[in-house]
Amino acid sequence: MKICYKLLLVVSIVTFLFVTGCSNQSSGEGNQNQGGEDSSTLVIAQSADLTTMDPQNSLSTNGERVFRNMFSRLFYWDQNMEIQPDAVAEYEQIDDVTWKFTLKEGITFHNGDPLTAEDVKFSLERVMNDQTLKEFPYFKQLKEVNVLDDLNVEIITDGPMPTLLKVLAKSGSDILPKDYFEEVGLEEFQKNPIGSGPYKYVEWVHDDRVVLEPYKDYFGDAPKWENVEVRSITESSTRVGELLTGGVDIATDIPPNEWERVDGDESVELVTGDTTRVMLLVMRTTEGAVTSDPKVRKAIDLAIDQQAIVDSLLKGTGVPVRSRVPEGVFGSNPDLYDSYVYDVEKAKDLLAEAGYEDGVEIKLTAPKGRYPLDGEVAQLIASMLGKVGITVNLELLESSAFLDVYNSNSNKEMIMIGLADGLFDASYSLVHYTKDRAKGQTDYYNKEVEQLYNDAGRNLDEEERLEQYKRIQEIVAEERPHIFLYQQGMNYGVSEDINFKPRLDAVFLFDDITTK
Amino acid sequence: MRKYLIRRLLQIIPVIFIITFVVFVLVYMAGDPVALMLPEDASEADREALRAALGLNDPFIVQYFRFLLDLGQGNFGTSFRYNQDALPLVLERLPATFELAVASMVVAIMMSIPLGIYSARKRNSFVDLFITGGSVLGKAMPNFWLGIILILLFAVNIQFFPVSGRGSLLHLVLPAITLGTGVAAEMTRLIRSSMLEILGQDYMRTAKSKGVNNGRLIYKHAFRNSLIPVVTIMGLQVSQLVSGALITESVFAWPGLGQLLVQAVNGRDMAVVQASVFVIAILVIVINLLTDIVYRLLDPRINYS
Amino acid sequence: MQANAESKSELNINDKIAKSKNQSTTIRGLKLLLQSKTGTIGFIIVICVVLVAIFAGVLAPHDPALNNLTATLKPPAWLDGGSWNYVLGTDNLGRDVLSRIIVGTRVSLLVGVFSVVLAGLIGLIIGIVAGYYGGIVDNILMRLVDSFLAIPSILFILVVLAVFEPSLLVLIIVIGLTNWVTYARIVRGEVLSIKEREYVKASKSIGTKSSEIMLVHVLPNIVSSFIVISALSVATTIILEASLSFLGLGIQPPDVSWGAMLTDGRNYLATNWWLATFPGLAITITVLGIIFLGDWLRDVLDPKTQVNQKGGAK
Repeated sequence: MKICYKLLLVVSIVTFLFVTGCSNQSSGEGNQNQGGEDSSTLVIAQSADLTTMDPQNSLSTNGERVFRNMFSRLFYWDQNMEIQPDAVAEYEQIDDVTWKFTLKEGITFHNGDPLTAEDVKFSLERVMNDQTLKEFPYFKQLKEVNVLDDLNVEIITDGPMPTLLKVLAKSGSDILPKDYFEEVGLEEFQKNPIGSGPYKYVEWVHDDRVVLEPYKDYFGDAPKWENVEVRSITESSTRVGELLTGGVDIATDIPPNEWERVDGDESVELVTGDTTRVMLLVMRTTEGAVTSDPKVRKAIDLAIDQQAIVDSLLKGTGVPVRSRVPEGVFGSNPDLYDSYVYDVEKAKDLLAEAGYEDGVEIKLTAPKGRYPLDGEVAQLIASMLGKVGITVNLELLESSAFLDVYNSNSNKEMIMIGLADGLFDASYSLVHYTKDRAKGQTDYYNKEVEQLYNDAGRNLDEEERLEQYKRIQEIVAEERPHIFLYQQGMNYGVSEDINFKPRLDAVFLFDDITTK
Repeated sequence: MRKYLIRRLLQIIPVIFIITFVVFVLVYMAGDPVALMLPEDASEADREALRAALGLNDPFIVQYFRFLLDLGQGNFGTSFRYNQDALPLVLERLPATFELAVASMVVAIMMSIPLGIYSARKRNSFVDLFITGGSVLGKAMPNFWLGIILILLFAVNIQFFPVSGRGSLLHLVLPAITLGTGVAAEMTRLIRSSMLEILGQDYMRTAKSKGVNNGRLIYKHAFRNSLIPVVTIMGLQVSQLVSGALITESVFAWPGLGQLLVQAVNGRDMAVVQASVFVIAILVIVINLLTDIVYRLLDPRINYS
Repeated sequence: MQANAESKSELNINDKIAKSKNQSTTIRGLKLLLQSKTGTIGFIIVICVVLVAIFAGVLAPHDPALNNLTATLKPPAWLDGGSWNYVLGTDNLGRDVLSRIIVGTRVSLLVGVFSVVLAGLIGLIIGIVAGYYGGIVDNILMRLVDSFLAIPSILFILVVLAVFEPSLLVLIIVIGLTNWVTYARIVRGEVLSIKEREYVKASKSIGTKSSEIMLVHVLPNIVSSFIVISALSVATTIILEASLSFLGLGIQPPDVSWGAMLTDGRNYLATNWWLATFPGLAITITVLGIIFLGDWLRDVLDPKTQVNQKGGAK
């Protein structure tokens, strides 16, 4: 027996030595892992990793949280979600389609190269022309970018473009170093990305962490953190576990079931912010569908108690809405925000009027695991509709299968989805109610909506544009090609040592986050 | 032996071919990765443009031959999600997963050998029943459940181990136990039954009647012989370890192949799925071949035909 | 010594088998079963679980899919705030945990049993064909077996479920399609050894159809190993379904399975422990029962073990 254990001992020691050998290369970061308690290190845990170091091909909040701090743009959204100049010193609009921008002097990339108009032209043209880039669709209305001199650049748009500055502030408009990028190519650039933002790239271990350090020669205010780590922890209870034990300072995407744990702990607090994402039911108005009858659509809306969904399932972190454009996004209609209609009796009457007093069967397709508690919300809606005599044939699908149904327009009467607004402008959200976009999906068409939308898209008069968008939302709220549920909140767990204010775009500017 | 080896190596070729075909067909049928790459409300025209740019509109046969041709040059294509060559993406994850797998194997061996031997010696005693019950429990607990419990107990309540991530040796302990427990359960049962078989054989009784010391007897004869099936099952466990790693890595935010793979499947990142299935399959084949050889060396009774 | 008492009882069993030859098989089986502690426990558990699955509709106190927003996350009855209306508490939609476990039994067992039956059938056919015809057919089929062995089953299932939406039927088929390999190998081995026997050669020479030969001679020889492996497979499949649920590819709501409950409940482990604990217990107890029963079946059916046990007796 003795010998047997000796053998075991030898085997295990050898193996452990071997394993330690394997992990040597990364044990350095392991020590930094405790940095969550260190006042000069900021550790953020997200629910998913970045997929790329190419800021024009990312199109995800997770990526944007890193890129926003690594790259500069011509403009940026500040803490109050207002547009501010970033690399731009001054700008002017020359005519309806021509804009001139003057860059700040002395901006340098992390490799020391100066940032010039050539870099701006290169970066914008890349995203305007390369269809494989995920940010491409947002930049289609840019027509030309011309270098006037080292610091001056001219942008010509395809027709008047009221949203130009917003596009120049959004993800994908990041300024890349032309010379470096062309010299090393995309593959190498991703291994060692270079921007001109306050923080520079140190390393990215896939599905583990992105590490950043301050860039000493940053053109703006000096960066505050000595070290920033953005970790990826997919399992929510693990993410909360790290937060509670001080392993991370801020954890994103805290699901409702974890709130009690976060709230109950002295050392951390739960912070809730709004997002532009609105959960809604896409209704098929195609001839022949049960939901083509406006009375049925109205009955469905009346049967759903949006407030109850928000209160019971989401524990109050969500706002019932009757429009896709929530507060904080340009074009929002305040009458339709924080508002819902609920009347079970009237819903039953309407169904009877529509000829369904004996009940009707309707299919609802919904995602599961794509948005917080999406599957649960769908099940709840099914049972609410059951109470007015609508038998819901519920189909819950995992993310990719769900998107197949959505994108192929093979949805039946109803499909539940959450739509966000990456541009913070109603022009982005309301395109769904135009004939072309609605084709095959809702098949919604309203002549007035069509006219209003097209007019607003070329309207440089912001006040008039606002009214046009508000009117579209009124019509939509009445005709219900979409039935809106609620504006989704975003919940963060934050260490008590940290001052943190959530933003509508759910992005972080690391230097807006401070220690107490 | 050499003849046997050559034959086994030759057999690998059609196996690899079948695997690539099966995986390609499945991934091809899995459909459109473009939908997952663009936001929910991208228009059909946007999607169509991206699809064309990625060469996804070509017919099946064209895509398959392009795939085979590239494969011949060791090129699995480019990951849609990462915009990088797929093979390096897979290979860079191997050390992390390998580290986890080896550590859980150590956990499994350290748990199962003493437990298996002990419960075989005390067959049908209360302890034996307890160990058998425990091993069933170990088998019946899904990985994710055990992992979350371990984190709650030993990382959050008693803050002794780190919650997640890869780094120091301490980071390795909880994931290794999570992944190793299922294997340990399997091996405990196996060691127990193979010990029982050997303890009941003639030569053991002969040795015992000659007055050989009990402990030495157990070690010298029974334990060594009971290792033979254990080696075999270790080979088979490789694929179980990979399966377990898919889940354990997600729970512990372990940056290994498992996480890469789950996300690649969910994101329909064809190239990465193909490359990882390919790499895992080759690993399993090689390890099985090695265990077969060890098995044959341990047990000279088996011939090589 | 322990081993001595043990072998005596084994002798007893064998005696009894001999004595009870005239008795009906059922009674003989039951008597045999009662000889083994673990076997009895396993048998009782399995019978109970099967009964629950069959009578789920009658046994469940509530509709398992019925929401009740006024009674969400209620603890089990014996804790503060619990009520006997919801014996094992409620989940985040106010659904009764007990009813969900009862109804979930059905799905979990269906997936377990039918995927194993399917795997067994495929394995049987492929094994017989490969073993009987040999040569190139055998070679091709065995390479197919090798390929399946080289791809971890969960990986294969994952990729398949990305193509087909997971539903009860799809799960059964997919799991069945990945697990036939073990059966095929056993059958093939058995066929190879039987093929050479004189009586098979004889029946072939008098012109009996080959399919007939195989079924008549092969089947009885593989029944015991089939049953033992199948029992274990049912257990592992139940756990596999749970793992697939974790990856988002298991049974989809409104259908409910133990795995799906465990997966949803895992998020509540720190705050509402009962959501994951009871389905977890259901899985553990069932798997325990099946494995105990399987072990016992192996001891009884496997002639090799019996010889050894006999050999062990002095």
